[in-house]
Amino acid sequence: MAVLTLLSDSYTRRALGEAVFVGALCGAVGVHVVLRRLSFFAMAMTHATFPGVVLAAILGVNLYLGSGIFGFLVVLAVAALSARGDNASVTGVVLSGSFALGVLLLSAQTGFTRDLTAYLVGSILTVQTGDLVTSGITAAVVLVVLALLSKELVFGAFDRDATVAIGYPAGRLDVVLLLLIEVTIVTSVPAVGTILSVALIVAPAATARLWCDTVGGMTALSIVIGVASSVIGLVISEQWSVAAGGAIVLTASGIFALSALLVPATGTLARRRRARAGTAEGPDRLPAPGAYPHGAPGPATGTGVSS
Amino acid sequence: MLSRLLVDPFALPFMQRALVEVLLLGALAGGVGVFVVLRRLAFLADALTHAVFPGVVIGYLVSRESGIVPGALVFAILATVLFTAFAARARVSQDAVLAILLTSFFGLGVVLVSRQRSYTADLTTFLFGRVLTVDSTQIAQTAVVAVAVSLAMYALRKELLLRTFDQQTAQAMGYRVVLLDLTLNLIIALVVVAAVKAVGTILSIALLVVPAATARLLSDRLLVVTGLAVLLGMLGGWLGLAASYEASINHGVRLASGATVVLALVAFYLLALGIGPLARRCRRRRMKLPPEVADVGELSAGRLVPGTHTGGGVR
Amino acid sequence: MVDPRADVGAGSLVDAAGDRPPAVVFDRASVAYGRVPVLEDVDGVVNAGHMVALIGPNGGGKSTLIKAVLGLVPVVRGSVQVLGRTPTQARQDVAYVPQADTLDLDFPISVGQVVLMGRYRQVGWVRRPRRSDRLIAAEALAAVGLAHRSADRFGTLSGGQRQRVLLARAMTQQPRLLLLDEPFNGVDAVSRQALLSAIEGLRAAGATVVVSTHDLSLAHLACDDVCLVNRHQFGFGPTAATLTPDRLRAAYGSAALELRGEGVIVAHS
Repeated sequence: MAVLTLLSDSYTRRALGEAVFVGALCGAVGVHVVLRRLSFFAMAMTHATFPGVVLAAILGVNLYLGSGIFGFLVVLAVAALSARGDNASVTGVVLSGSFALGVLLLSAQTGFTRDLTAYLVGSILTVQTGDLVTSGITAAVVLVVLALLSKELVFGAFDRDATVAIGYPAGRLDVVLLLLIEVTIVTSVPAVGTILSVALIVAPAATARLWCDTVGGMTALSIVIGVASSVIGLVISEQWSVAAGGAIVLTASGIFALSALLVPATGTLARRRRARAGTAEGPDRLPAPGAYPHGAPGPATGTGVSS
Repeated sequence: MLSRLLVDPFALPFMQRALVEVLLLGALAGGVGVFVVLRRLAFLADALTHAVFPGVVIGYLVSRESGIVPGALVFAILATVLFTAFAARARVSQDAVLAILLTSFFGLGVVLVSRQRSYTADLTTFLFGRVLTVDSTQIAQTAVVAVAVSLAMYALRKELLLRTFDQQTAQAMGYRVVLLDLTLNLIIALVVVAAVKAVGTILSIALLVVPAATARLLSDRLLVVTGLAVLLGMLGGWLGLAASYEASINHGVRLASGATVVLALVAFYLLALGIGPLARRCRRRRMKLPPEVADVGELSAGRLVPGTHTGGGVR
Repeated sequence: MVDPRADVGAGSLVDAAGDRPPAVVFDRASVAYGRVPVLEDVDGVVNAGHMVALIGPNGGGKSTLIKAVLGLVPVVRGSVQVLGRTPTQARQDVAYVPQADTLDLDFPISVGQVVLMGRYRQVGWVRRPRRSDRLIAAEALAAVGLAHRSADRFGTLSGGQRQRVLLARAMTQQPRLLLLDEPFNGVDAVSRQALLSAIEGLRAAGATVVVSTHDLSLAHLACDDVCLVNRHQFGFGPTAATLTPDRLRAAYGSAALELRGEGVIVAHS
């Protein structure tokens, strides 16, 4: 019912569209953030884009562009500084330092509070058609890149040394992933704000991890949860007139808390499901080795294995 | 000239109070920060600063100004306990759990505050604090927290150090590591609560992490690191306040005082990045050690706790 | 003090078999992490088709030397040549088996997928693994005796089984040079046997194997040559001739006493 009334209004229609795009985008990218344990880094990135936004506002250039460029500089700074000290502290220093820089720039201007609040907690209800198109295109591009590079990115997340040893440009792959995360943050800021965009990135993926033991299943579920929590959060915020960003985040983390309670700690549920699937040959399964005698299809392998 | 910049501003009563508060907080957070950096708990500290937000809002709704600190304390403890409980369940890494806790608490605060009319002003105060309006009650509160935390840290220094360096041995020796962790987390939470009202979230995370990280760059000895961190925290507070005053009064550029303090601390960090290796080389020459020996010591000390920054011991 | 270069033949560039160029040539190579030199003056040859053990105490630079052969750690002095090329250029023909305990056991990935990763370079960017790739992976997994665990999550395996899976992954690369970092650490007897017979299978197909280990008996049992290192090289050559009590004592320092307790030095003196 609530969703139907939502749809009658063009503001909320746009907000709903934005919620779907941002939810899907964050859900997909979040899988890699969770697998590589980059939550704190993502958090730092959200704060780090802040001076970029302020500078862009002062200079009168596009806000996305400003925060994007500044975020990129910060990625480089963290990468460079991490070689000198431990990662967590460096991230903390960069996070607080760059945010303070933003505050300083802002305080030197007049009109201290207004822009800031929208930036921090988002205002999905005032999303313009232009924003909607931007997030739609970004979501599509990021999802396609993630799909194309999925096997390499998963390999890198699992065993980075081995990807280097096998000849992949692991450093460049890392940068690509960090850029994808940054693009996601910059895109979702208008909807849910900097701090809360981290929630939409991490919570659905972490929830999906509780239920799934494969990256594919995790990604699909994460996207579904991301979209669902944005839409439900939006409806809640309409219904009780609370901040939409906060409502979305609370929905996402509520789903996580519920899942953590429902999933047995040992993951027996998943194991049982897998056992039932049994010998069925899924796309990620290898054919049973006995099924093909040694003359089976495939390249004749000189260095093959004698079993 | 220098005294005009660094001493004169503090003739004003409100600047005096601000200075006392910042010096207290700088010393307190600098000292506690050493463990934050050694245990790689920067993200936990960050999470706690955000997690006290709903407590601040609820406390304010219940009994105005006087409710803020109790409210923040309740939510800091709640967040600490929840994190310690969640972190015990594996499957999802600790940093993801922290991120979710942090953002959901913050989201709750945003939702609560968005029901108020003074929405944006409240949010801004929370994020950046109002160090220039601290009163003597707040200073007294901070002083009490500082004394209590110092006593607790002094009493537990051996145990905390052992757990930081080698979790497994601590466990094997019969220490309840979970309780030790909870204690340190609560100490961090107390510091955050003491700092948040005066200086806001961003400055409290900066005070906890930056001076200690700077000190860590300059020395390998725990006592020296702690002393340096305390000094740097205080010095950064002083210089930051003076700079923001100078810019605002004599140059017509309003600079947020909290942010200026953070940037002063970050400037020390960048300076130490340049000086650190230099100082090491000098010391090495003095001690006539072959270069690789000193460097291996530096390496192993820097990697005191491998693994994730939110927990884990030496494996 | 033992002169590391007063050696037993393997220091020369001439292969005993003579028909194939050497797999790895160390020419007074020093490797470093950042500014910290970890291992200095490694000099010797790994002959094609041989199995070479890297022996030395913990922190002595065994893993670092393996990473230098992979081009993961820079060679700061001297040179390392792998299959006649630089380490980076040779990666396509080199497979690496890391220590299984460095990996994230919560990672949502099945055993079969881990083995299939070894084929990714041959599969290429963007494309999905073909049926033939899956078949090679399945054969490799069968060769280490774990075909029945293909659908299980990697983290549910025992330490020894995980090590076997990583070896299977390396086998799918059909490498000319296989590098193993402490594969027998904390591994049960069944897995140890499975690892050894799988390695034997690779060698029969012509691969060269370099394995780092503490296990002196394994070196005597399975390896043609030994490279003894601790910060620098203490010997490089045929196993029996290289693992002398003097060299072991020199490389292990005070720890050599413990070795005597295990009967290793006694067995030779």
